[in-house]
Amino acid sequence: MGLYFTELRRSMEYLALDERVVFLGQAVAVKGTSMTTTLENVSPSKRIEMPVTEEMQMGISVGLALNGSIPVTMYPRWNFLLLAVNQVVNHLDKLKKMSNGGYQPKAIIRVGIGSERPLSPQCQHLGDFTEAFRLMCENIEIIRLEEPEDIFPAYKKALERTDGMSTIVVEYGDYYSEK
Amino acid sequence: MTAQDLIQFENEIADLFKAKQIKAVIHLYSGGEEHMLKVFEGITPEDWVMCSWRSHYQCLLKGVPKDELKAEILAGRSIALCFPKYRIVSSGIVGGILPIALGVALGIKRSGGTNHVHCFLGDMTSETGIAHECIKYSQNFNLPITFHVEDNRLSVCTDTRTTWGKAELTFELGAPKVEFSKYVTGKYPHAGSGERIQF
Repeated sequence: MGLYFTELRRSMEYLALDERVVFLGQAVAVKGTSMTTTLENVSPSKRIEMPVTEEMQMGISVGLALNGSIPVTMYPRWNFLLLAVNQVVNHLDKLKKMSNGGYQPKAIIRVGIGSERPLSPQCQHLGDFTEAFRLMCENIEIIRLEEPEDIFPAYKKALERTDGMSTIVVEYGDYYSEK
Repeated sequence: MTAQDLIQFENEIADLFKAKQIKAVIHLYSGGEEHMLKVFEGITPEDWVMCSWRSHYQCLLKGVPKDELKAEILAGRSIALCFPKYRIVSSGIVGGILPIALGVALGIKRSGGTNHVHCFLGDMTSETGIAHECIKYSQNFNLPITFHVEDNRLSVCTDTRTTWGKAELTFELGAPKVEFSKYVTGKYPHAGSGERIQF
């Protein structure tokens, strides 16, 4: 693993220091994806393993945020996040407007662009819908992690922001080992 | 708050709608008042109330002052009323509020809280995939939440039982975390006041 992975792991350790933060998704508390390994130094008590139910996971994330937590909700592929679009676009993004600013749920969505090397997962796992989501969302910023030095500042901003926005952080699967 | 108070409020809103004072969609209750009053006997100010597009009764019974609620409706926000001070969240999307309510309940349990989440949904919503996922999860993890299914047999004008090809709904005979009630829709249709208004 290269600096890209190391910075991701350092960022997750930093997020975990905040008592409000909780991590959830598939292969969060158990092994299973490259994202999992970035949580290896995070306490199991802060990791919630979810069944495969993408929309419910995102809705739970919104609810946790309304109740005072900061969920780090993980989707290893953009294509998987498509199954949670209702909660992202119609709810997480709109609750601020629906409540006249009264509710400002803050969530951190980790999403990955599937790695193509050495094995291609084919077209259903290689989606990159950054621009589409930017067009659909007003209160969610999308940050792409192009270089290792982008990673820690992005997650620090996502955690500490006070502008009532949530953050989608886009990771590149190939860069975990290439950068 | 009495059943007559609830009915009178909806009638006032209907009159405002007919007078073209509300430039947005409204969904009015008509029926089920006594049951709703009974449900709210067990709801405390610290509890969360999560609703769909029809939520005027819940807002009033959770403590939102009539004038405050009416102002929000006049401002065009009847379809997804949210009142953080009263811990009310609503969504105009079918099934949209259910996993959010589940997340609030999960947060309460993880933090050791003693309050409760009450999530209201209709009969058609209760048959959706997201409802089944959320109810199953809440049961298996014993989360502090109750799903209140309000069954008027219809989704807008579509008969829930006919379209699913079943005479009895999944949660009709009761289930853990689910409270099922039936009512007959009165004078107001799914949306609007029941009269054609030319805006």
